[in-house]
Amino acid sequence: MNVNKIYTAGLLALTLALSGCHDSLLNPTPESVLTSANYYQTAKDMDLAVLGVYNRLQSRKPSDYLLMEVPADNLYMSANTSVAGAPELDLLAVNADNPIVADFWEVTYNGIFRANSVLANIDKPMDYAGTQKDQFIGEAKFMRALFYFDLVRLFGGVPNVTSLISIEDASKLPRASEEEIYNLIVEDLKDAISKLPVQNAMARGRASKGAATALLGKVYVYRKDWNNAKTYLDQTATFNYSLVPSFASLWKLESEDNAEIILAMKYIDGTNGHSLSTAFIPNAGAIDIVNRGSEIALPSWSLMKNYKAGDTRYASTVTEFWVPPTKPTDTPMWYPYISKYAVKHTFGLSGLDLPVLRYADVLLLKAETLYELGQPDAALAELNKVRARAFGNATQNYTLAAIPNREAFVDKLLLERQLEFAYENERWFDLVRTGRLTTVLTKEERLFNYATKSPVTVQLTPQAYMKAFPVPQRQIDQSAPGVLTQNDGY
Amino acid sequence: MFTHNWPRMLCVLVLLGCSPLVSLAASSPSVRRAATQVLDWQITGKVTSEKGETLPGVTIILKGSSLGTSTDANGNYFLKVPETAGTLVFSSVGTVTKEVAFTGPGVVNVALNDDAKALEEVVVVGYGTVKKSSVTAAVSKIENKILNEIPAGRAETALVGRLAGVNVSQTRSSPGSAPLIRIRGSGSIDAGNEPLVVIDGFPGGSLGQINMNDVESIEVLKDASSAAIYGSRAAGGVIIVTTKRGKTGKPKFNFNAYYGMSKARLHNDWLPVDDYYNYAVRYQNREYAWIGGDTSIPAWGDPRRPGQYQVSDTVRRSGNTIWQDAVTQVAPIQSYNLSVGGGTENVKYYVSGVVLNEQGTVKNTDYKQYSLRTNLDVKINPVVSLGFLFNPSYATRRSAPTDMVSLVKYPNFVGIRRPDGTYPKARDYWGQNVTSQANPMAILDGTVINGYSLNNVGEAFIALDLVEGLRLRSSVGTNIAYNTSERFQASFATNNGISSGTASDSRSINLINENTLNYTKTFGTSHDFSALLGASYQRNTSRNAYMAAVSGSFNNDIIQTLNNAIIDPASTGTTKSEWGLVSYFSRINYGYKEKYLLSASIRADGSSRFGPANKWGYFPSASVAWRVSQEEFMKNIPVIDELKLRASYGATGNFNIGDFDYLGRISSVLYAPGGALTKGQAQTSFGNSRLSWEKTNGYDFGLELGILKNRLNITVDYYDKRTTDLLYNVSIPGITGFTSSISNVGDISNKGIELEIQSKNLTGELKWQTSFNLARNRNKVVDLGGVQERITTDAFGMSWILRVGEPMFSYYGYRAIGVLQNAEQVKNTPVLAGSKPGNPIYEDLNKDGKIDSHDKVILGNFQPKLFLGMVNNFGWKAFDLSIAMQASLGAKIYNFENQYYQGNVLGAMRRSLVENQWWSEQEPGDGKTPASALSQLNFQGASDVYIEDGSFLAVRNINLGYTLPGTLVQKLRLGSCRVYASGSNLIFVTSKSFHGYNPEGYTAGEIAGVGSRPGYNSGSEPVNRVVTFGINLSF
Repeated sequence: MNVNKIYTAGLLALTLALSGCHDSLLNPTPESVLTSANYYQTAKDMDLAVLGVYNRLQSRKPSDYLLMEVPADNLYMSANTSVAGAPELDLLAVNADNPIVADFWEVTYNGIFRANSVLANIDKPMDYAGTQKDQFIGEAKFMRALFYFDLVRLFGGVPNVTSLISIEDASKLPRASEEEIYNLIVEDLKDAISKLPVQNAMARGRASKGAATALLGKVYVYRKDWNNAKTYLDQTATFNYSLVPSFASLWKLESEDNAEIILAMKYIDGTNGHSLSTAFIPNAGAIDIVNRGSEIALPSWSLMKNYKAGDTRYASTVTEFWVPPTKPTDTPMWYPYISKYAVKHTFGLSGLDLPVLRYADVLLLKAETLYELGQPDAALAELNKVRARAFGNATQNYTLAAIPNREAFVDKLLLERQLEFAYENERWFDLVRTGRLTTVLTKEERLFNYATKSPVTVQLTPQAYMKAFPVPQRQIDQSAPGVLTQNDGY
Repeated sequence: MFTHNWPRMLCVLVLLGCSPLVSLAASSPSVRRAATQVLDWQITGKVTSEKGETLPGVTIILKGSSLGTSTDANGNYFLKVPETAGTLVFSSVGTVTKEVAFTGPGVVNVALNDDAKALEEVVVVGYGTVKKSSVTAAVSKIENKILNEIPAGRAETALVGRLAGVNVSQTRSSPGSAPLIRIRGSGSIDAGNEPLVVIDGFPGGSLGQINMNDVESIEVLKDASSAAIYGSRAAGGVIIVTTKRGKTGKPKFNFNAYYGMSKARLHNDWLPVDDYYNYAVRYQNREYAWIGGDTSIPAWGDPRRPGQYQVSDTVRRSGNTIWQDAVTQVAPIQSYNLSVGGGTENVKYYVSGVVLNEQGTVKNTDYKQYSLRTNLDVKINPVVSLGFLFNPSYATRRSAPTDMVSLVKYPNFVGIRRPDGTYPKARDYWGQNVTSQANPMAILDGTVINGYSLNNVGEAFIALDLVEGLRLRSSVGTNIAYNTSERFQASFATNNGISSGTASDSRSINLINENTLNYTKTFGTSHDFSALLGASYQRNTSRNAYMAAVSGSFNNDIIQTLNNAIIDPASTGTTKSEWGLVSYFSRINYGYKEKYLLSASIRADGSSRFGPANKWGYFPSASVAWRVSQEEFMKNIPVIDELKLRASYGATGNFNIGDFDYLGRISSVLYAPGGALTKGQAQTSFGNSRLSWEKTNGYDFGLELGILKNRLNITVDYYDKRTTDLLYNVSIPGITGFTSSISNVGDISNKGIELEIQSKNLTGELKWQTSFNLARNRNKVVDLGGVQERITTDAFGMSWILRVGEPMFSYYGYRAIGVLQNAEQVKNTPVLAGSKPGNPIYEDLNKDGKIDSHDKVILGNFQPKLFLGMVNNFGWKAFDLSIAMQASLGAKIYNFENQYYQGNVLGAMRRSLVENQWWSEQEPGDGKTPASALSQLNFQGASDVYIEDGSFLAVRNINLGYTLPGTLVQKLRLGSCRVYASGSNLIFVTSKSFHGYNPEGYTAGEIAGVGSRPGYNSGSEPVNRVVTFGINLSF
């Protein structure tokens, strides 16, 4: 046989052989990527998928204050840092293009998607041990309820998504009413309560039966359904939660797991940390906290002036005098900054847990509920528990004599909630739900001049329509024309 | 079956059909036997051209034997032949071969005539070559004459401004950083716009892998019809690099070397320390006045003034460091290349080694490249030939840890280094209100970012010349890349005092098998025909391993590897990925009397990256050309030597997306239940099983004109290309759980005109050639899948818009028309919420009395409107001079960098950026410049305040060479010797209002997805002026 024929035959054979491996060239198996097609096979898969739902809240929570505190009067944006969209929130001049509002919508619906993915695939695995499956359903529903609770409080009615939907279906889905969303939240939480184990049976940082019960109580308070609120808030008390004796210990790494925490997002310094401990520290850092801060916002005098002498919460919330870490021997300078989350941490990656629900909230919600149900004595007793813990004794407790009417009670309650939950994202919602947005936020006292004893005062013009934020314009644009309606006033 | 496999079937059939031809070819006589006579007649002589110029490298063979030699640099030769009369055959590229008889020893001088046909330039196109006159598409060619003398680490730099429609822009000028190459504009949003680089036939290489010394020529396939033969990857155009190969003859050594210095092009606009203090006080007073403070309170030490509004006295009592000068240096650049090439008719070789070392003008940066290139071509017999390529290269690069801005914006009162070796920080002088950044020299000295890449391109091919004109070629090629990168940052080099470190290793192995069958034949005297049939199989597998230290866990700053730290489990892992591509292609060229030319091709590509039903894409092309000058009626117009009209159409594709993007990915997301770090799982992309090709359909119309005996050549091209089915991360409703999904949606159009003029102005003793080019591209969004626009807004408010009818990623924001002077004006003018005196007045576009998003307008675009390039070559006696110039007009840069030079909180201050500002109603500045500071960014980030004109004119390179006279060279026993001096960017003119270091520079990348912010500049490195001296030796 001719040599050249051999060559030719060889080449042809090679060509044929290679064309025979079309399949392996065109349909390789992804070796490092799981896909929606091959996941959700085992109970372990579902467990990790549930953690994926928590991840969404865990990563969103450190910046929630931009929407839930900045528009209110506890803090103001520092001139040393610029965050797009935040100044408009600070000045109550939000519009539908606000990037912070838009991001919140998207991130929260991503959390809902993750919860829905768990629920949609929950029947696939066959290897659940014991009540594992119930727990996962309960956690997913709890988280979905929590996400919708945030959305409904910020935007009013929003699209009701409880399954995995296509792009086309999504573009045609209008907003549900506020009522419908609340019904979904209540339904999810009731199911969660029935399915979730108690905290002792689960890792901390995961939602328990107690958490679902407390959240449902809170939801009913927002609904002003006082009877149901009382039922669930009372029930919460049966899970052995209590106030810790020292308010300061709530904000320390060594005591962050305690009897007062009903649910907190867990963080690990350096590897799975959050930015909130850095966010409020002065630009040049703070000694024994961090070498450099973000100084995004500073505490308002409107809040600071409300703390009475002896209130231990003040020192755990705001630090008045500051010393530059580069000049530790300098005389401390009046430079108030928010120090609630100021623990020693890695820049931008703090390990301090962030509470989602704590028992003090349950007590104050209960005080409100009892007052509304016509039990002012019992209401004051709950309120005073929180107050007595703050002052270390009962000397500052309120008496009925000092609270002549409902208006006065709501004043005291809101004040207590402001002092207790400053920078815990309650203030804006409290002002909105009690209708005080338009009266309280007409001015904000910001930087206080220590030498001249006078604050910088900013005049604001709050409007009733601001109780709901605008639906992000880019969401309206993505929907079919006319499907997603804008809130009034925007 | 038919749709997916027909190309394969066709190919196999054709290949099978060839086999009988082999025996025919092989039976022809093949090997000549060498004569064995005694050698004793000596023949010498000189070979010249018809004009009398000496011709080196002419091959002289004794007819009927294997005896031969070639002429030296001066055209002289010497040959011993047997004592019989015979004939010498003189042959050389570009001349007509001549036979001269001899009857005895002695001198035989010969003048060879130019071969007009053979002199004709050949252009490399995909999978073949074409005579330049027969090209039917828009192809630009550049030969490496002095390109390898342009002092730059990267080969691409040499192409700047030389080819119309090929924009090479150096957006970052750190050593070893790759310039951006865009051919005829950008058509893709998410899938990249990089051209396909084909090195010696291997598709998918990188220009970073080659060294200019080894390059013979570079061809750019600009229009879709020429690029379509590369189908699925050619939408960004194709750059074909042809490297040097051995030529028949004695071994020829070449030694090329240069050494030089580069210096950053800087400015002298910094405020000295006294002025710095004065301005810092003005800044703090202005801020204090805004909150109603009493600015008559002393700036320092008075408790009535809050700390945030004070200015430390130490600021004016300290040094005066110009950080720009402290962090830059005059840096050496050097390159050495030694090559040898040669061979016989049957075995040819080329071996070349290169060492290149470029130090950065920013301290502690460098780029080094070591490479070897070996080509071997073996002709076993008239039928079978083999070829081998081995091209290992190793490159190391140390990069700067930050953009230029963080290195130069530092306040001038801070010293560079203390006597004890530590680095002072601004906050050591002034505890607050000044940047908290680390000392720039600490950042440069304390951060080590090293990249190492080891690369090999290898290829082996066998070619069978089966019958006259029919060639079967099969090759196996590999491109193996092994990259390592290390990063360490010492605690003292960071703003927050936390050390950090990462390390990663990645390897990528690209295997390709290509089989082509080429047939070329001229039927009769008038029908030129050629055809190509091919099949290509390519697979790329990659693996990446990455590790990171837990922040702050390094025990000390001495040991910088990760064994000195605790590994962060959340950022450590390995990944693997893979893609495959199966292609079949065919092309036919036909020419009638070299007058009517036609070419058509089709390529079918199957890619693993697309959804199961859409893996295959088809990319046809057709082009025609009419050489009017060949027509009889043109013979009467002697002034016109060449006139060609071209028209072409082609389809190309783009598959540059992630390997498994069509699937909904599940990724790890972290949570810490019970305080234990756990990798949870969540679906992180929406997936799209229908994902398919992005296609570009392009038309090109061209005219080529040669007049005055081809002394003036003009080429004009108009093109219109439309990219459809964009691989685009289209926005989707957030309630799906996602914000975007990669889809085939949208159209982008690029239309433009290109002009190339080549002129031989003087051809006498003083030679002068000019080549000039001009290109204008108009980029336009045509469709975005139903929506009219899509906006990306950055953290400080600037937006980039994709809007139907406008160029991609135009800047979008408010147009400033003045400055608010007082409270009264603030009240009566439509303003952004919270505006104060000193903030800009914006145009209330819709006249509704308020400034909101409806008042935003397009504020310009990062893409230049017009490119101009000109190269002038002069020759006089032994001197040669080349001057390459480039101009770019109409680009706008969002020079965000400026705001870092506008206030003490940020650092240094530039006079031109602070002195015209509004300071108070009494000091209103120039009335145009608003009160600018970090705190005011929210009032001007979303506007044209920082948008500047990026137009420029640059003399990119001047090269002056001198060739040593022959006598001296001979004494030195050299073949030839040329010395030269080269200068880059010696003249560089930018717009007066431009404040950046590099008018082409921007730091947030070009178009790469919907969130792109092209044109955003926060400190692109300075353009370098480089002066080098070099030598070319051959012997």
